[in-house]
Amino acid sequence: MKVVAVTACPTGIAHTYMAAARLEKVGKSLGFDIKVETQGAMGIENKLTERDISQAEIAIFAVDIAVEERERFNGVKVIQVPLQDALKDPHSIFAKIQS
Amino acid sequence: MTQRSGTSVEFAFVCSLSDGLHARPASQLAEVAIEYASDCLITNLRTGSVASLKSVLAILATDIRQGDRCIVQVRGSDEQAAHSALLRFVEQVLPTCDVPLAGLHPTTASTTLPRTLQTAGVKGYFGSPVSRGLGRGKVIPLSGMALPRDLKGQAASDPQSELAQIKRAMAAVRGRIQEKLAHPQSPTEAAVLQADLAIASDVSLSQKLAEHVSQGKSAGQAVMEAGAFFIDLLRHSESEYIRERALDIEEICLHLLQEIYGVDLQTAAIELREPSVVVAETLAPQQLLGLERQWLKALVLEHSGATSHVVILARSLGIPTLTGVKNARGILSAGQEVVVDAIRGFVVPQSSAAVQKFYEREQKTLELRREFLPVPATGPAITTDGKTLEVAANASSYEELSLAFEKDADGIGLFRTEMAYLQRRRPPSEEEQFAIYAEAARAAAGRPVIIRTFDLGGDKDAPYLNLPPEDNPFLGYRGVRIYSEHHELLQAQLRAILRASAFGQVQVMAPMISSLDEVRQFKASISEAMQDLARKGIAFRSDIRIGVMIEVPSAGFILDQLCAAVDFFSLGTNDLNQYFLAADRDNPKTAELSDVLHPGFLRFLKRIVEEIHAAGKWVGMCGEMAAEVRYLPVLIGLGLDEISLPAPGIPGVKRAVAQLSAAECQRALANIVECEEKSEIEELIERAQPARSAQPLLSKELVLLGSQSKDKEEAMQEIVDAFYIAGRTEDRQRLEEALWSREAVYATDFAHGFAVPHCKTEAVTADSIGVVRLNQAIDWGSADSKPVNMIIMMAMRKSQNPSRHLEIFSKLARKLMNEDFRGHLLTVGNAHDMATYLAQQLEISLH
Repeated sequence: MKVVAVTACPTGIAHTYMAAARLEKVGKSLGFDIKVETQGAMGIENKLTERDISQAEIAIFAVDIAVEERERFNGVKVIQVPLQDALKDPHSIFAKIQS
Repeated sequence: MTQRSGTSVEFAFVCSLSDGLHARPASQLAEVAIEYASDCLITNLRTGSVASLKSVLAILATDIRQGDRCIVQVRGSDEQAAHSALLRFVEQVLPTCDVPLAGLHPTTASTTLPRTLQTAGVKGYFGSPVSRGLGRGKVIPLSGMALPRDLKGQAASDPQSELAQIKRAMAAVRGRIQEKLAHPQSPTEAAVLQADLAIASDVSLSQKLAEHVSQGKSAGQAVMEAGAFFIDLLRHSESEYIRERALDIEEICLHLLQEIYGVDLQTAAIELREPSVVVAETLAPQQLLGLERQWLKALVLEHSGATSHVVILARSLGIPTLTGVKNARGILSAGQEVVVDAIRGFVVPQSSAAVQKFYEREQKTLELRREFLPVPATGPAITTDGKTLEVAANASSYEELSLAFEKDADGIGLFRTEMAYLQRRRPPSEEEQFAIYAEAARAAAGRPVIIRTFDLGGDKDAPYLNLPPEDNPFLGYRGVRIYSEHHELLQAQLRAILRASAFGQVQVMAPMISSLDEVRQFKASISEAMQDLARKGIAFRSDIRIGVMIEVPSAGFILDQLCAAVDFFSLGTNDLNQYFLAADRDNPKTAELSDVLHPGFLRFLKRIVEEIHAAGKWVGMCGEMAAEVRYLPVLIGLGLDEISLPAPGIPGVKRAVAQLSAAECQRALANIVECEEKSEIEELIERAQPARSAQPLLSKELVLLGSQSKDKEEAMQEIVDAFYIAGRTEDRQRLEEALWSREAVYATDFAHGFAVPHCKTEAVTADSIGVVRLNQAIDWGSADSKPVNMIIMMAMRKSQNPSRHLEIFSKLARKLMNEDFRGHLLTVGNAHDMATYLAQQLEISLH
């Protein structure tokens, strides 16, 4: 299953990237095809393309602040969780997707 | 503006001083007026109050503020002379009187205690740390300066004998101040005592006292009432500076009372017998000087501004001092043990265990910082290809000298001496100058001190020089040009410089040289001063190095002649540039033109340095161009032997020199002088900047393994202290607050016992990574996580442009999700290996 995700936190120095790394790792280990965009202090990186989004069955927003360019995700099913969940219990996020 | 009115001459002016006509200009004005027999009156048209210009107190009482229109009227036998002297003072000296006393930088007060103290429930009382340091001791409250009020019933004997008593007391008080003035411990102390002396000699004070006595009051009552009268006047001033001066009057009055009644007043000197913290509303300078230095550990004052003399003195004596501590005497009780933290800005009772522990740690932190900090900035500045550039300091006062050597200056490249000549009625004596120059030579401890003889004229006038008004003073009678007319003045200074040369590496330099003839005359003057000293058998260095400033372009075209005549040169780029480009840098319309990066100017500088070096002579630069660290590639490219700049910039410049290659700088300069466009020059300069930032992202000092911290607060404090020791923060309170405010969003721990506190703040001097590994895991505050035993801290400077370090931070953040990486961090053996491993993983340098 193809999944896209966005991570973002208030300072954008640490947690945005930690969460991105964690989601990628756990997602892949569970057999998902996952791409994670980070919205941190360096701006948007590894940006999700229109194609990425249209192919995805679901989008995960692991964020503590508003997602930038939110309109890209119109029409896509979105699960929004606090960023901490992606760090501390990513498995339950993916479990939610599969259910 | 001048006219005769009735039988007096008068002129009007508008006060331009931002603090109003405060005590220093007022006392100088009085000094001028007192020389003349005529009555000199000043009227403040805003308030209508009139005062004699011969009295400092009376002038202050007219409360002349910025923008007030005033009229000066002179009437009497020498009114014309008095009128011109006063007019000259008001037009030429007064506008320069706003220079604040040296060494005053009011610091913002903090209002929070460090976390470890907060959580322990410690109560702190906040104030501004105006003289930095830590002091502990028992509280000694001083009742301060209030005049005693119980003299009302005092019976007066006849007015004649009461007046005699007052006169005797005033003479005694003046005598005592003069005694102290004969051996001041610092120029600061001397200045403060001078101000006291002016008040004790003031005409209106004497008049007021005589008035009260003639009304049948006793000597004591007269002092109290006259004192209260003036204090009340000054306390109502808008200017904080003038309000502060009320204290000086109160102090003099107290001294008078002590003279009249003996020393039994409640404010008699308190004897300190153990480590003490003196707590007062405020203190008079002489009260402070009377306290036992050995036991005086700190001062806590309820009220005292940055310009108060007691604060200036406390700084020069190194006594930790807090001011603005509200109701300190009510809160702190006599005998209570307290710690005065005049680093952060509060005072706390010493009784609790948390405070004791905090300051035991603080003591160690301060010691470690002292050990660690001087290292990066000490020693000569050497380029990567081995060329040494002397980095010296410009100075014009005693305070600046001591700061210079604190900042590890390689010498004093320009000691400006004209400040001592300004703002006074008579020129400084040979002895006064000798004292300062000898002090400079001693403080320099073998390093060179280049003393420039007075550069007066232009925008720097002194009344006793009788300089004519000029349409174009910068192209006029100034610098070396006035020396032949003021031969004795120059001789006195040269003798002072020569005498100081016996105490160190003193060198002498002439300003504004434009011809060989001027150099010859200057050297002849030096020979004359030498012969004079030799005749009197006074020691000096007969081989003193003689140099000249290059600030007039013509000097740059007779270097062959000048090199044969002198030992060294210093480029005064401010004047050289404005004379070279015919553009005034203070004129907004031409500021753009006065550009030190003008290719013509750079070519000129290059030629000058090459020619001087070809003749085997030494050349430095002491203009503002030398203070701009961005121009360093140009300055090194020029091949200067020395640059001289304000002391605070020295450590940064030395670090930057160590990252530049002289050969590359030369190549860059060769390209720069060929540029046609200003933008090209800017770009080449940008490209020539040192590649690496002054401080690496990580160093082993920021890695703490085996930490004993028992909770989150302590661990955070530990890492912040490590930043302070390594010189990466000067404001621990702000750094700590920045970290905690991020934690307040949610605790930064994540699974596996790791936490990543982080912040963006100006409180760090460089982007940095810190590491703490704990012996015992601690709770990090989030409900669902394991205790933390590994802390990775990331601190980033706030800036407009995202730093390239952000990439490294994000890389580190991602790597923390990797089990192998974490495993390594948990097991690596020592700080050095930890730093090396992280540097390798993040592909960064540790240097």
